[in-house]
Amino acid sequence: MMGQFVFRNLFHRPVRTLIGVLAIAVEIMLVVVIVGLTSGMLQETAKRIEGIGADIMVQAPAAQILIGFSGSPMPIKIAEKLQELKYVQSVAPALLQFNSSGGVDVVYGIDPASFRAVSGGFIFLAGHDMQGPDDLLVDDWAAKSKHLTVGSTFRLFNHDWTVAGIVEHGKGGRLFVPITTLQELVGARDKASIFLVKCTRPEHTEDAMREIEALLPNHPVRPLKDFMSLMTSANIPGLQTFINAMIALAVAIGLLVIFLTMYTTVLERTRDIGVLKSLGASKVLIVRALLTETVLLCFLGIAAGIGLSYLVRAGFLAIFPTLSVLITPGWIIRAGLIALVGALFGASYPAWLASRKDAVQALSYE
Amino acid sequence: MSITVRIQTQTNDLAEPELKTLEPILKTENLWKLYHAGQVEVPALRGVNFDVLPGESVAVMGPSGCGKSSLLYVIGGLAQASRGKVYVDGNDLSSMSDADRTKLRRHKIGFVFQRFNLLPALTARGNIAIAQYIHGDGFDPHRFDVVTKMLGLDGRLHHRPAEMSGGEQQRVAIARAIINEPKILLADEPTGNLDTKNSEVVLEMLRRLNKDLGQTIVMITHNPEATVYFDRVVHMRDGVIVDGIPAD
Repeated sequence: MMGQFVFRNLFHRPVRTLIGVLAIAVEIMLVVVIVGLTSGMLQETAKRIEGIGADIMVQAPAAQILIGFSGSPMPIKIAEKLQELKYVQSVAPALLQFNSSGGVDVVYGIDPASFRAVSGGFIFLAGHDMQGPDDLLVDDWAAKSKHLTVGSTFRLFNHDWTVAGIVEHGKGGRLFVPITTLQELVGARDKASIFLVKCTRPEHTEDAMREIEALLPNHPVRPLKDFMSLMTSANIPGLQTFINAMIALAVAIGLLVIFLTMYTTVLERTRDIGVLKSLGASKVLIVRALLTETVLLCFLGIAAGIGLSYLVRAGFLAIFPTLSVLITPGWIIRAGLIALVGALFGASYPAWLASRKDAVQALSYE
Repeated sequence: MSITVRIQTQTNDLAEPELKTLEPILKTENLWKLYHAGQVEVPALRGVNFDVLPGESVAVMGPSGCGKSSLLYVIGGLAQASRGKVYVDGNDLSSMSDADRTKLRRHKIGFVFQRFNLLPALTARGNIAIAQYIHGDGFDPHRFDVVTKMLGLDGRLHHRPAEMSGGEQQRVAIARAIINEPKILLADEPTGNLDTKNSEVVLEMLRRLNKDLGQTIVMITHNPEATVYFDRVVHMRDGVIVDGIPAD
């Protein structure tokens, strides 16, 4: 009977119910998509870094794990020193530059020969390797999203580049240019952001790392086979705070809308509450009825929120094909629980108010 | 007030008939109800002494503002007495907490209101069944069928209040009020929003409930014609009972 009562009450005012459901759905979507976006981008970046094929990455002292933001503080001559180490087979310097015009990209300035030695080379889907100083290699996802073909001109860092080749995605960046040209453009002559190291044998990675650490103390030296496990929000300064702030904002939205929805529900149903009291309904029963209604509203909102999350993700990917939005069951459950707790919190005051209404006044409410 | 009645047992014995004393099922002693309008105290009931015997039907009449509704709400446990005593089926309401009054109301009192006060989201069936749910004994299909048939609600049970006439809604309200076999049925101007024909139907149903099932009824009314359906009429004025005479 309680179920029937709650169910019918929800659908007696469909517009108000819809607003409540939408609020929860938006809350769920915000949490799931924001977390999905950050973890998706991190994971996708890590996969591409691991996909280069190098064994070790050497960064500048105090460099962040999010390598696109590390700048270019290391002299490129470090590559020669690294090459001399016993367990090092080949070294490829790379200059990483963040670009935000025409999309969000990290551009890799590379030396084609050394990069080929470390990575095993690109898989070309069209065109050929860089030959001239203004040649640009683009991965297939970036080519599709930016509508680039071999021979297209692309403006980057106020410089016109010519697309020389389209390569299979998954080797570090999406855009590759000659390191010397990029160094001139960004004022970083003879500098590199990272050094990618290929060991003589994979099992020599630990030994190589020890050699590099002895040669370059204070420089972060990371094994790339475990890079994905390092690319978490906990390891990116400020990112966890950002995620928490977004979650708090989403919860606040949901809580406030549910509060308002249930508050107006209680006001509108004042006479009904008086009737229930005249029938002998206890305060506990009245609170339970309202909170049950809130829970049902929340479940509907969670279901809608999951659908909305996938819809928004599809929208994002249609507009930005190079983005990665990782929607996981774990975060769907967490978002659902957060929404439920927030909704119950938001409904608790109106429910308490309802239980305390004077029956006689409630019965004469117009 | 209590009445001593002569009860004739069905035997051929020539012994004196037994004398038994019927205690009132409802009794107020020096009942006061005060409302506060800002700094001003407004007495709605001023020392009311009122008794109702089991199986009796009583109509309470009086002008607007005389305290009829306040009397009903206090004896029904919806409002607390300011002073004095209220006994319902032997229980002293005036010393009870809100939770205890609620519990007593759940089990012993049924209400019928002028504006029907049905829950708009539920069907007629749901409105009656929710009273059983609140009562705590769950849905009793046999009792449900008996009550709905008696009140002529067959065929209307799946309609919501907005789809029913005033008379039908009031019959649903009566069904809801009696479904749990309350000791007392309290009716606050149940025909106030009905036309003459429907009023007569409702009053006749109340009369049948009283005569056939022994339901104790206290009804507030403005309608002098309604009083013929009741055993006794009590008049109120300015918060006091001015007289209480048998209906005939």
